[in-house]
Amino acid sequence: MKLFHIHFYENRKIYFCISIGIMLIGLIFNVIYGTQLDVNFKGGAIIKYSYSGDIDVPTVEKSVEKAVKRDVEVEINSNVKSADTNAVLNNVTLTFAGDQALSVNDQKTLLTTLSTLYPKANFGLVRSNSVDPTMGMSFFQKCIVAVIITFLLLDIYIALRFRKIGGSAAGLFAIVALLHDVAMVYFTFIFARIPLNDNFIAVVLTILGYSLNDTIVIYDRIRENRRLMGIKAGYAELVNTSINQTLTRSLFTAGCTFSSIATVYFVGLAFNLSSVTTFALPMMVGIVTGCYSSICIAGPLYVMWEKHKVKVLAAENSRASLESAQAKNSAALEEFSEEPVSERKENIAKSANPSAKKNSAKKKPKSKKRKR
Amino acid sequence: MKRAKKPVFFIVALLILFFTYASIFGIKGKNGDNTVTYLKGVNDIRWGIDINGGVEATFSPVTNTKPTNPQIDAAESIIKQRLIGENITDYEVYKDYNHSRIIVRFPWKNDEKSFDPQKSIEELAATAQVTFREGMEYTTQTTGSDGQPVYKTPKGVTASDIILKGNDIVSAKPEIRQDNTTGKSTYVVSLKLNSEGTAKFAAATKKFYQKVISIWMDDTMISYPNVNSIITDGNCEIEGGTNGFTAAEASALSNKINAGALPFKLSATDSNTISPTLGKTSLRAMLVAGIIAFALVAVFMLLVFRLPGFVAVISLLGQIALSFAAVSGFFPFMNSFTLTLPGIAGIILSIGMGVDANIITATRIKEELWTGKTLDSAIRQGDDNSFSAIFDGNITVIIVAVILMLVFGPQNILSFWFGAATTGSIYSFGYTLLIGIIGNFLFGVVTTRLMTKSLSAFSFARNKWLYGGPSESREALLNGGSVK
Repeated sequence: MKLFHIHFYENRKIYFCISIGIMLIGLIFNVIYGTQLDVNFKGGAIIKYSYSGDIDVPTVEKSVEKAVKRDVEVEINSNVKSADTNAVLNNVTLTFAGDQALSVNDQKTLLTTLSTLYPKANFGLVRSNSVDPTMGMSFFQKCIVAVIITFLLLDIYIALRFRKIGGSAAGLFAIVALLHDVAMVYFTFIFARIPLNDNFIAVVLTILGYSLNDTIVIYDRIRENRRLMGIKAGYAELVNTSINQTLTRSLFTAGCTFSSIATVYFVGLAFNLSSVTTFALPMMVGIVTGCYSSICIAGPLYVMWEKHKVKVLAAENSRASLESAQAKNSAALEEFSEEPVSERKENIAKSANPSAKKNSAKKKPKSKKRKR
Repeated sequence: MKRAKKPVFFIVALLILFFTYASIFGIKGKNGDNTVTYLKGVNDIRWGIDINGGVEATFSPVTNTKPTNPQIDAAESIIKQRLIGENITDYEVYKDYNHSRIIVRFPWKNDEKSFDPQKSIEELAATAQVTFREGMEYTTQTTGSDGQPVYKTPKGVTASDIILKGNDIVSAKPEIRQDNTTGKSTYVVSLKLNSEGTAKFAAATKKFYQKVISIWMDDTMISYPNVNSIITDGNCEIEGGTNGFTAAEASALSNKINAGALPFKLSATDSNTISPTLGKTSLRAMLVAGIIAFALVAVFMLLVFRLPGFVAVISLLGQIALSFAAVSGFFPFMNSFTLTLPGIAGIILSIGMGVDANIITATRIKEELWTGKTLDSAIRQGDDNSFSAIFDGNITVIIVAVILMLVFGPQNILSFWFGAATTGSIYSFGYTLLIGIIGNFLFGVVTTRLMTKSLSAFSFARNKWLYGGPSESREALLNGGSVK
């Protein structure tokens, strides 16, 4: 049976660089282009008509602005497929400036204006979206509250679940991985220039659940392997082995989920359904980063933390032996303890003699057991 | 270990196939000319307005003072009455007292030819005209979407003789009356008229004593009581027919009468409309996507996991069938559920996530086989070891799905704060995701295991290669034997 032997811990810097790099580029994009909010969140009006023949964008813009007295942006999608017939229609989207809704009366005026302008174009309403800014704001706040509630509940679950697996530190890294995924989904919206809408919320929440479950599976394996491999195996080896063992499953599941949602994306693209593609694309990215963050971020971070802890423990142990050795020299010890903690540890590490080091190495397994 | 019985596989597989068939096509019988639906299929699914096309609008009163709760109730009753009168089924109306708004969502009727949402919204929001008229002559009788007859368009004397108008009425409210002799309590609608109305009504009740005075909203008759006494003081009661009103009927009628005297107009502050054509295109697209996604996953499972993969595909069918059944109202104890585009995306997403349980189990079985275990013990070990991982893997998604439903449902845990919801499409996503995960547990664990164990009892299915283990020749090599 084939097994992976990828050195996840050793390659950690590459992964961290990739993630931080993407986020930095995302941030730059974000600063340049800003964050767009969908009309459902900020209020405003978008109306889409189907038509046949040709229309002239500036003419439409001008007469619409005259008719409803608001600035408008006109965009044309030609050759839109329809399910009913083989007929191919063109769509024109009118996006109104500002965050005010467009009254029903104005919407009627709009259609009359367009029809008089191009009597042969046979304009038909495809969809209209007109949202009052206060309603939009309240919906936006509700969505944010939803995300916060989910995050808190998942944190509680993490706290309960990770007591068994790797303690609060592991839980913390699971949260780091989740934040990583939320950021990635957010930047997908920024990169693809999709206005943040309720789809964003749905995707973020789903990815939170999906990514956390991946992380839990890996940490669970780590716990199981710690029993099997014993403490002699280094943390890097332990975590690498665990990730490699769960990798098949992670990749298969992510692959199946990814291909399902990718199918939705491409079919949505073919039929020019923006409400489907703006949902599927971020979800695709989320599935990938959800899998990636569990493997390449949460795992290596855990090793780094454990290694750091071992170092600190070693330092503490050596201090303990130092204390016993220097018990008589209380004056020196007093001076010692006045130093800041971090410096103190450094000093101990430096001043620890070889015998103390040996001592600490022996003590390590014992203190490990206590931790568990 | 006791092997599972051989026929189990066929029984389970056939049951799943039958369930899949039934959940897609439903089970219908003929009773004379009527089709009787015993079990609902995909065609009975209630589609959301993003698929069927439809309107979602928020109506707010145009007024500077905050409307009272009865006024909001009255305004709501206008909209409901009109929707029922138009025979629109599946409408949803939510009222929000705190923010003084009424949210309406309704799909287009299937036979709707002209698509004019602006007109529909205006008609819904139009000020209600409540009139009291002589007699009860009407032009048409149809059946409303609530199953009750709808009488429309007054004619004859009913058309010409208007006794009272909405602004003659001060208030209408439901009250409870107890009969002194029998002690039986009934509900009535108690009316209070202004001075002008009192004078007009006194004359009319005298003239039409023991005759009918009908009450109309717009073009629809909402009540037709008999005049049993002459009312001179402007206070009167409308009693229900022979059985009297129920509490709900009394309050519905009083809301409608109040609607005629509302001191404000309604205006649509928000409106979202989707044409039926766009919706149909979306549905077609999602259907194509669903089939392709299923095929992709099925081919993958067969190629990678061979026999357990084959079993997994059957289980996956069952899981998808469960998703359909859960939205169509297939099970008598579950209501049908409005399915939206994100809802369908949820089903497709759960096709991908749904094989997780099968992948975990099959991978475990494979691992056990490569350590040299016999087929039976490998399957048993694989099943035992994978359950906690499957459980863990799904619980977080369940948490998220439940939150999505709680937060985005029409009346939800955040309603007290943000008011009734405008966007219900995410609610459907949460539901299908949840059902998908539950289906994954049910089919990916229970039926997969039953089928795998039963299949492994057949001699043709004893080859470990079929389970991803080493083939017999390879195994002989591994054990140090020679290859024949």
